[in-house]
Amino acid sequence: MNDTLRNGYVYWMFVLPAVALYALFFMYPMITTTYYGFTDWNGLMPEKFVGLDNFVQALQNDMFVHAIRNNLIFILFSVFVQVPLIIFFALLISGVKRLRRFYKTTVFMPSILSTSVIGILWSFIYEPEIGLLNQFLGLFGVEPIYWLSDTKTALLSVLITNGWQWMGFYIILVLAAILSLPKELNEAAEIDGATGIQRALYITVPLIMPIISVVIMLSIAGAMRVVDIVLVMTNGGPAGETDVMASYMVLQATQTGQYGYGTAIAILIFVFALVLTGLYQLLFARKQERIEY
Amino acid sequence: MVAAWKKSVPHVILLLYVAAILYPFVFVIFSSLKVSNQSIASNPWGFPFDLKFENYITTWVEAKINVYFINSFYLATSAAIIGVLLAAAMAFAITRMKFGKLSSVLTQLVLVGLLIPGNALFISQYILVKDLHILNTHWALFFPYVAGAIPTSVLLIAAFMRSIPRDLEEAAIMDGLNAVGLFFKIVFPLTVPALVTVFIINFLGNWNEFLLANFFLNKDILRTLPVGMVGFRDTYQTNYAQVCAGIVYSVLPVLIIYAILQEKIIEGLTAGSVKG
Repeated sequence: MNDTLRNGYVYWMFVLPAVALYALFFMYPMITTTYYGFTDWNGLMPEKFVGLDNFVQALQNDMFVHAIRNNLIFILFSVFVQVPLIIFFALLISGVKRLRRFYKTTVFMPSILSTSVIGILWSFIYEPEIGLLNQFLGLFGVEPIYWLSDTKTALLSVLITNGWQWMGFYIILVLAAILSLPKELNEAAEIDGATGIQRALYITVPLIMPIISVVIMLSIAGAMRVVDIVLVMTNGGPAGETDVMASYMVLQATQTGQYGYGTAIAILIFVFALVLTGLYQLLFARKQERIEY
Repeated sequence: MVAAWKKSVPHVILLLYVAAILYPFVFVIFSSLKVSNQSIASNPWGFPFDLKFENYITTWVEAKINVYFINSFYLATSAAIIGVLLAAAMAFAITRMKFGKLSSVLTQLVLVGLLIPGNALFISQYILVKDLHILNTHWALFFPYVAGAIPTSVLLIAAFMRSIPRDLEEAAIMDGLNAVGLFFKIVFPLTVPALVTVFIINFLGNWNEFLLANFFLNKDILRTLPVGMVGFRDTYQTNYAQVCAGIVYSVLPVLIIYAILQEKIIEGLTAGSVKG
């Protein structure tokens, strides 16, 4: 019995292919990333160790600081606009019996589609002359707005598209948590005469705080990573207005070949994401007592 | 009367939200069948009465959507299959075979992968792929796709395999099966539901991937659908009807998979996160 499952050859035969691929294409790039970030390297000349220069250079660069600001806006938008809406819609869906499956299926749909195709679809909706949005506003006599090429509206337009894509995914997460709560609490409160809104606010929402916390964490992590949608819809434009950290990194590496500098930005993205989620855990998530029910 | 009204309020709000999700698709389908930008502009909401199905043929052939489609399809499928098989083998070894210490080290190693956002490795992976001389071949996407999927795949499959009762295994070994036979004849078939979920998650991820696909390939005939579509939009910006036909092509397969397997997909993508 034991010998059969203690066969070293078989063990390595089973483990090695996965581990080798993972090591070469994931662990190794991780290690080289931490190294390149401290070098001055353009991919041609031998790299030169420059210590923290890249990081200093990045943080002094207005374009990059603007990109950080945009990531923060992504985070604030998801935490203060999307999360309340997510909870609201999840509560609504959990409250209805008819059509629940239909709502579940449709709201989740955008989350499985390619970000790049969603970007194309929405750039068509935002198209100034024939796009859906301006046609609609035109009914009320609004002049065409250049949604994606006007600095005033470009970032908001991307934010809305990103929200449209991901909200359903989180709604389903929250909904699953709501539906797994025991029914008795709600029924007892109903007998005591609590209205639907009161029950939602004082019973359901406190009970699902753990999952809301997870949703906020995932939103922060997602907002730090956001890149495809920006590259496809605006390519960072107009004039760097919608650049986020990751799009700035990609464009630095691919357009100017500054690999060392670009990798330093990759490290910064990772560090910022870790610090933000760590801070969030420390400040908010820990405070919640574990709720037993 | 009041009660009925109260009951319908949530539905009204939810249906408005659903309309905001679905209407863009309807708009794209209608527009894809219209003759020109003019007919889209003059009748943005309405049904295309002069149905122009040629848009689909022109887009498929001239815009090379057929080429992109096939590239995406075989890359996404092969990377997902290989990824699932490798992950299943590794999960079997670390959960069912008796190498406790080593297995927990390997599990930790794989766990690290969950922490690292894939985008952060973009430049290093680019350089690696260049050094291996596979830049501008499909291998440049295949390997990173398989490797990137290993952490979640191994952990999901391992969780599933842990729940298989030991007795089953013991009985099989009594009957003379060795470890390899145990994996292929007993554990693998039992794990199929989990493998299918993981396959779908990986397939969708690969099918939709844009960043690597955009920068690791620059030959047009190698491009995948998400990248090909962006290029197509940028060159044919003047013909929105055709761009819309292209969007329909790239969305359709995913929606068909979703329609058939939506319960499984939702379950798979939300697995593990609900417990908070």
